[in-house]
Amino acid sequence: MADSRIRRLLAFDRQVRRDQAQSPIFVHRRDRRFALDCQARNETPSVEHWLEHLERVGQVSGSGGTWSKPGAPDETLTRWQRLLSVFAFSGLILGILTMTGLLYYEGGQRINLTALLAFAGLQCLLAVFTIVQSLVNWQPWHRVLRRFRLGDRQSPLKPLTPAMMARVAHTGGLCFGLAGVATLLVLVVIQDLAFGWSTTLSTGADGYHRLLTMLAWPWQQLWPAAIPDLALVESTRFFRAEPDLESTEPGRWGQWWPFVLMVWLFYVVMPRLAGLIVAQIQLHIRARRALAAHPGMVALEYRMETPTVDTGNVNHDGADRPDENTAAQCQPLPDSQVLICWAGAGDPELPDSLSAGHLLTEQAGGQCSLDDDQQTIERCAELLKKQPEPSVTLVARAWEPPIAELSDFIEQARHHWPEKTRIALLPLPNDHAQPTNPQTTRPRQLSQWLRFAERAGDERIFVSQPDLRSPQSRAYDRQPEGL
Amino acid sequence: MAAAPVFAVVGHPNKGKSSVVATLSQNDGIAIALEPGTTKKRQDYPLSIDGQVLYTLVDTPGFQRPRRVLEWLEAHSASVSDRADTVRAFVTQFADNPQFVDECELLAPLTEGAGVIYVVDGSIPYSPQHEAEMTILRWTGRPSLALINSIGPDDHSDVWERALGQFFQVVRRFDAVRAPFEHHLGLLKTFGQLEPEWEQPLNEATRHLSEQRQQRKRETAILIANTLENMMSYRAKRTLTKTQAAAISDQALGDELRNQWYRNQRQKEEQLRIAIEQLYQHNRIQRQEPELVWHSEHDLFSERSRTAWGVNRRYLATAGFGAGAMGGIGIDAATLGYSLGAGALIGGIVGAAGSYFYGDRLSLPVLSTGILNNGLKTASFGPVQDSQFGYVVFGRAVNHWWHISQRNHAGRELLDLGPADDHWLELLDRQSRRVIHQVFERCRKNRSVDEKTRQNFRSAVAAAMDAFDQWRLNQI
Repeated sequence: MADSRIRRLLAFDRQVRRDQAQSPIFVHRRDRRFALDCQARNETPSVEHWLEHLERVGQVSGSGGTWSKPGAPDETLTRWQRLLSVFAFSGLILGILTMTGLLYYEGGQRINLTALLAFAGLQCLLAVFTIVQSLVNWQPWHRVLRRFRLGDRQSPLKPLTPAMMARVAHTGGLCFGLAGVATLLVLVVIQDLAFGWSTTLSTGADGYHRLLTMLAWPWQQLWPAAIPDLALVESTRFFRAEPDLESTEPGRWGQWWPFVLMVWLFYVVMPRLAGLIVAQIQLHIRARRALAAHPGMVALEYRMETPTVDTGNVNHDGADRPDENTAAQCQPLPDSQVLICWAGAGDPELPDSLSAGHLLTEQAGGQCSLDDDQQTIERCAELLKKQPEPSVTLVARAWEPPIAELSDFIEQARHHWPEKTRIALLPLPNDHAQPTNPQTTRPRQLSQWLRFAERAGDERIFVSQPDLRSPQSRAYDRQPEGL
Repeated sequence: MAAAPVFAVVGHPNKGKSSVVATLSQNDGIAIALEPGTTKKRQDYPLSIDGQVLYTLVDTPGFQRPRRVLEWLEAHSASVSDRADTVRAFVTQFADNPQFVDECELLAPLTEGAGVIYVVDGSIPYSPQHEAEMTILRWTGRPSLALINSIGPDDHSDVWERALGQFFQVVRRFDAVRAPFEHHLGLLKTFGQLEPEWEQPLNEATRHLSEQRQQRKRETAILIANTLENMMSYRAKRTLTKTQAAAISDQALGDELRNQWYRNQRQKEEQLRIAIEQLYQHNRIQRQEPELVWHSEHDLFSERSRTAWGVNRRYLATAGFGAGAMGGIGIDAATLGYSLGAGALIGGIVGAAGSYFYGDRLSLPVLSTGILNNGLKTASFGPVQDSQFGYVVFGRAVNHWWHISQRNHAGRELLDLGPADDHWLELLDRQSRRVIHQVFERCRKNRSVDEKTRQNFRSAVAAAMDAFDQWRLNQI
């Protein structure tokens, strides 16, 4: 149970780290979609479901690469499991060796119960110390763990490390205790063990018996036969300086084994078992808290709760931009007979250099009707037919892009006017009336007119940019800047 | 549920229709060019929340033959009441006619129920020559709004405003390239006022857009904080075998690691910039200038960057005192207060002195070469030994964020990240300064930053972004 929570914490942490490489927009969309799907199924979105969902939709059959499943075993957890196995195995070996050592009996001397009790007490104290240490988060061994890459500061398991270490220690201790019990039972069966008690202190059998009765209190109901009686205590005291022990019946020495077994079980095995349970509970709680406090959790909840906003930036036509380059050049303004002001160009008045010297000045486009345009074309045609070199200047507003209406007008005019008529397009800048202005159209505005003339595909249609301040404007050619 | 409102952005060619759509849809992939006919067909840009469309903007081609269209409409209309039907009939009649393809593309959404957003250029003088297209739009009978978008430097908006008021329900000024985000929201709310049933979805949309902007700012703070931590604590390392160690001099090894360190830091900064640009949906800034030429003068490690974005000694001493005092509090806590605050005081003084004496130059990280051990020799370069480095990166990152967050998606000009002339961090509160300095110091000393400090650092970075915003506002 605790392990599943730890695995979930690690899987969550791995996914959060992986998401850091993703675009926040994508991650938000993905998690919001998951939350909405859960809502549609009347489910509460949880981390478990989220991880399962990612695992399910992320499975790619036959794909290679380094992709790892969210539920895949974590390297740190594997290292902890290895450490647990090492402790458990060491506990087993040490348990067997220790019990064999404690029960070593070569026939000359009794196995001293006092030494056995002291050893069991020490084990009990160690177990309690480990429990307290994990409860208060004291980690005297953290440097050693870091050496084995188990105490990484950045690891999500950092708050769990004391409990993890306690679990490892208690598992080792439990194996130690159980191996001791097994060894004791084996030795009881295959050997005649002679237990006795001995102490330098001037205490009598009564006092020793009271101590043992107190120690045996936990199993007095469970196994009364495992509580030594006073007679046994009195008859099994021995002194090393008194080698002759034949007064005691040989069978009495072996009657201690149930007591020894229960002492080992209750003061070595049980504290470790209790410690292990406490460590498991601690891990369970801390893993849950660590997951709830994980910085990625707040972000995930936010992403699930907050709607995704798609501003409609999926469609792109940026690659479909028109070609803004042109090879067309401005040409000198011809000495034209007709001046046509297109769509209000020249309003309120034309530059003097333009307004004078034309045989006919007309208006077209803009507010004029299509009939007006037609009549303008016909009037111009009548005049142009009489000219040896017919030419027309069509003045337009430079800042207004040339549109299809102008193309239509020119095309219609070409049908009516003499074939050799030259048409000069003159885009007029919007500040032409000011005396200080350079009287030229801005390069970007002029470009669209040059491209328009180029698209017409007729060399008799061209763009002119005369210096409108000059009285000789119609014989003057000027190239726009930047072209 | 009522259908989501649709707004067709229409007008004469080259008046900024696509710019308006690009800015409002946060789409820098829309083609914008000073060439009539850049937009060839209608294109929908829906704003959706969790997949539910709240409104749609439709970018359309400009009018090409408005007088011909109006002539046809007038010739086929008997009374005022049939005008909308006549426009619909025109679209039906000429849907396949190449002569009116642009008009059909722009009128079709209006016949389907879209609102009219008519865009004009307020930087050129008003002229009644466009009245034919305004009349056509009025014939559609759809709710209408005119937008005065200023493309050039001149301003004729007042005249436009008066003239457009005769044709359109609402007239608004909106600079598609320079309008701040609040104006975008204001404009969208105005769209919602064209029809009563459009108000709710548009209000909802603006609320979500506003929240999205706040969230982007928070995510940017996290990105900047993470990058700063990474850059400040980065070490370029190399492990050499005995043979390799003998074959390379310490000088050459130092140069190699130094170059690796520099390259890595530049990459990290660039990655941060790209991440922030993507967060704000600016996906084409890099494509336009992949070599980042406009940064060449202000390279990460130039003296100019340090002068512009580094902090002065007084600032370092103050922040150093605060950061040192925070560390010294630990001593006071360990003595259960019996030290009477001496730990905080001593820590503060040590921190201030260290920052004051060593913080005025952008000193490089040092090369550290380990001894030969088990036949292997390790060498490392970094982490940077001066917290000024962190302030330079920090200043540049916040400056970049600010420009990106203020940049409209219609903008196509180069991103100019000019340096500052006075220091913006002066506006930051003392607590945030301390936290920032503390993290810089920890990274510099190669100590880990715990999760709580990291969270505080992110909050401090967010506060610094607010301070920068305020500082920029004061500069304007």
